[in-house]
Amino acid sequence: MPVGESWRDILAPQALDLALLALFIAFALTSFFLKHEKLKYAALAVAVGYMGFYKSSLISVSDIFRLTDMSLPPFKYSLTWYLFAGFVVVSTILWGRLYCGRICAFGALTQLMDAVVPARLRVNIPAKIERRAAWIKYGLLAFVIGYYLVTHDLASPVQYAEPFWMFTLFGTRAMWIGLAVLLTATLFVRNLYCRFFCPVGAMLGIISNLTVFKIKRWSECKTCKICEKTCEWGAIRGPLIVKSECVRCDDCERLYLDQKKCPHWLIQLKVRPSATKSAPAVPSAPA
Amino acid sequence: MKRAFLAVALATRIITNPNPASELKQLFPSAVSFSALAGDPLHYVAYAVDPKANPSAPPLGIAFWTTDMVPEEHGYHGPIHILVGLDLKGTITGAIVDYHSEPYGYFSVEPPKFGAQFKGKTIRDPFIVGRDVEAVSRASISIASATRAIRDGARIAASRLLPPEATK
Repeated sequence: MPVGESWRDILAPQALDLALLALFIAFALTSFFLKHEKLKYAALAVAVGYMGFYKSSLISVSDIFRLTDMSLPPFKYSLTWYLFAGFVVVSTILWGRLYCGRICAFGALTQLMDAVVPARLRVNIPAKIERRAAWIKYGLLAFVIGYYLVTHDLASPVQYAEPFWMFTLFGTRAMWIGLAVLLTATLFVRNLYCRFFCPVGAMLGIISNLTVFKIKRWSECKTCKICEKTCEWGAIRGPLIVKSECVRCDDCERLYLDQKKCPHWLIQLKVRPSATKSAPAVPSAPA
Repeated sequence: MKRAFLAVALATRIITNPNPASELKQLFPSAVSFSALAGDPLHYVAYAVDPKANPSAPPLGIAFWTTDMVPEEHGYHGPIHILVGLDLKGTITGAIVDYHSEPYGYFSVEPPKFGAQFKGKTIRDPFIVGRDVEAVSRASISIASATRAIRDGARIAASRLLPPEATK
């Protein structure tokens, strides 16, 4: 331990950040478990304000590079980062790309944009193109990792392969112009960057194949298209949910619970009028 | 044994700037010559009078790389290489960030303004980010690491290389 430093000296400057991050994570998880739409938007707003503009705390490709050369920050001085990165990995294994859909400040920003931008502006990309475009991010991930391993240039990927620097408000003119183009395009194509370009999202998409607690599907989902059409992330293909594209936004799960919209309930109600009372609370057919 | 350790330390250290002549001159503008990087721990000595002409004249101070004093100190992405000058009383004559691999280093530790604020601090100062060291918010890991490297490096250098009065 360096000259004259007590545990108090180490912990005191980190205590507030640690506590606020833990609180935010707890809040975001609450909105997730309750499938509560308003709470989710509140969590997204906090993600943009606190995690984004105030702390600029986002998982970046530089965190992936750090793993490639095992250059991690000192544990005792970086407890907040370890809590953050640890949560991202663990939550992705448990529920999938929850980080992308609720914690990441940039993802939160584009979701909030999507909530306020008039729907008529949206361009619906044909499913065929959408499915192909989703692969771009994996290519980008492979490219930036290769580029870093060869050049060990950390700055360029962080400045040009991802827009997260925007929350620091420090950027060159070229970076701001690129960001303006990206955000303008995002007005027309929902969550454009997250779905097609984000290398971190690609990395988490790979990890999300391990997802422990998956979204349940009804047997009626084989024919019904309501959720597939609602999904902002192009993550539902017929009866299947594509784990690596799903960010656990709850939109489809809220529909499942809606007895006036989901055919599962409507069919049951027709067959058995008393079904509302005796219906199982949790959908039973696995994905 | 000690020599063997020194040889290993010299052979394995990452050199980002093998001849920082202009940086040393910045730290000690009145120096006429500097020693080679040597000693344990490794450091430069700054001389006001050519030591060949007058070997008994006291030096102006020493300069060291933080990576030699506190090699275990890592920022967000690896060690930040900082050249620090220290006079014989334990006052910092300057700190120059030479190399870093911090993703957001370009606006946190890289601007000369960051290193410049350490000039005039002594090894007895608290070096608390946000109090006597300017906190560039949004790059807290890099700023905190560089500050610890300068503080701990200067304290170790003073206790091991400066006359005992400096650390009294």
